[in-house]
Amino acid sequence: MESTRSLSLFRRVRNAIFGTITAMAFVLSVAPLLAIIWVSWEKGKSALNLSFLTTLPSGFPVGSSGGILNGIAGSLVLAFLASVLSVPVGVWAGMFLWEGGSDRLPSMVRLFSDLLLGVPSVVWGVVGYYVFSTSTGYGLHWGFSALAGGLTLGFIMIPIVTRVTEQSLRDVPRSFIEGAYALGATRWQTLRGVALPGAMAGIGTGVLLGILNVLGQTAPLVFTNYYNTGIPSSLVGSQGAVGDLAMQIFIYIHEPSPEMHTKAMAAALVLLAIVLILDLGIRFLTWGGRKFSARR
Amino acid sequence: MERLSIKDFSAYYGETRALGSVSMEIPDRQVLALIGPSGCGKTTFLRSLNRMNDFVKDFSVEGQVLLDGQDIYSPEMHPVILRRRVGMVFQKPNPFTKSIFENVAYGLRIQGIRAKGVLRDVVEKSLQAAALWDEVKDRLDDSAFALSGGQQQRLCIARALAVEPEVILLDEPASALDPISTARIEELIQELKTRYTIVIVTHNMQQAARVSDQTVFFLSGEMVEMGVTSKIFTTPSDPRTEDYITGRFG
Repeated sequence: MESTRSLSLFRRVRNAIFGTITAMAFVLSVAPLLAIIWVSWEKGKSALNLSFLTTLPSGFPVGSSGGILNGIAGSLVLAFLASVLSVPVGVWAGMFLWEGGSDRLPSMVRLFSDLLLGVPSVVWGVVGYYVFSTSTGYGLHWGFSALAGGLTLGFIMIPIVTRVTEQSLRDVPRSFIEGAYALGATRWQTLRGVALPGAMAGIGTGVLLGILNVLGQTAPLVFTNYYNTGIPSSLVGSQGAVGDLAMQIFIYIHEPSPEMHTKAMAAALVLLAIVLILDLGIRFLTWGGRKFSARR
Repeated sequence: MERLSIKDFSAYYGETRALGSVSMEIPDRQVLALIGPSGCGKTTFLRSLNRMNDFVKDFSVEGQVLLDGQDIYSPEMHPVILRRRVGMVFQKPNPFTKSIFENVAYGLRIQGIRAKGVLRDVVEKSLQAAALWDEVKDRLDDSAFALSGGQQQRLCIARALAVEPEVILLDEPASALDPISTARIEELIQELKTRYTIVIVTHNMQQAARVSDQTVFFLSGEMVEMGVTSKIFTTPSDPRTEDYITGRFG
């Protein structure tokens, strides 16, 4: 009896310790989000109203009156352009890596892809400048423009989408894949008909992670798009730059003006709301096929 | 008449020989049971008959497997075409994340058959042949995962039948099922053998005795003995077979 008691006491203590650590980890991981929401709300709420979302910045310095429509529209355009490049390329590369397994070429692609994940965003910006924006030398001479910025962000997104696509395909049970092969499906039919649908929710999450990553980027845009207080008429050329919420927050917070600071924090809240809406939207789209899911 | 004829067949994983010089004739419209302890090579042998081992890295074979006289490992035989002629049902039911109807229709769809009427007919016929039609005819659009384990396995059999194979390979098809579902699968095998050649791997020796016409005993990658099931289970000619079926090892 003695030994049973001491064991159970030991277990209870150990349980309590692990329980506490888990709870602390949870609090520490959510606390920053709560802090961001609380600070942005407290400092930015007085600037929030419908016209803040629907009008362009005006006044002097520009932004002291008016709203952030340029930033909202620009961020969405940049995220869209980045996705147009990175989703097909990343999903295709992920399928290639899944299909190739541990062969030499896929292993090399995987290594390079992982290295790209570690490239600092400011380096992407500089390279993007020389490839897309510069007006001299080889480059494409698109100037500071939405296309230059969007594609630079797209290249940042590709390795994220690639990695998550490959992993999601690997998570599709081997038995589904074999079931398709055993019926005489070709590799491509198996990939398209069985593996990809099974991996769809995971790939959606990967695209989402990529978009959320690029929505928050400022450094790559400094050299490829910078900022625009209006709505551009073109995606390339000297008039092609778009506004961008993250850049807008960065610029507003540097102005020696309390109204601009308020607007910066309100813009941060709007950016968070866009992130939330995109998150829910993509989940809805990619988890829609769950009707036939193996996971009940 | 033989449907499959295996001549001096060996299989290797890298340098390791998993299966050594197997030779046998598998007759048409009979059930052949493969028995033997874990690791004896019976599943490797089964998966060699529809080239599912092609996906295993460094897998290689020697010898011949003739399907209606044609070597399935020859360059003229495309594995995709082979697998339409030699169907397979796996140990654990593995329906796709699709509706009941689409699961059965899948094998036809990947051959480019789109006509609704054809698909409906084949799906109905296949589900009937798999003794599942009466249970699912009113809910063909439900998820396959709404079915019980035994029903899922019969769905996988229907799915294999839909592409009209000549041979059906069953890899311990009832090992994940309860006794009642197992009995239904065994009855089904008896019905199916009137039209198909069936090769079944099983760990369950009573099952082998109940469902098969002929039995092969594998041990350590070698084919020890093949013969009429009733003889293998009563008067085997090799002492190792006797040891195994009387439960002395395995």
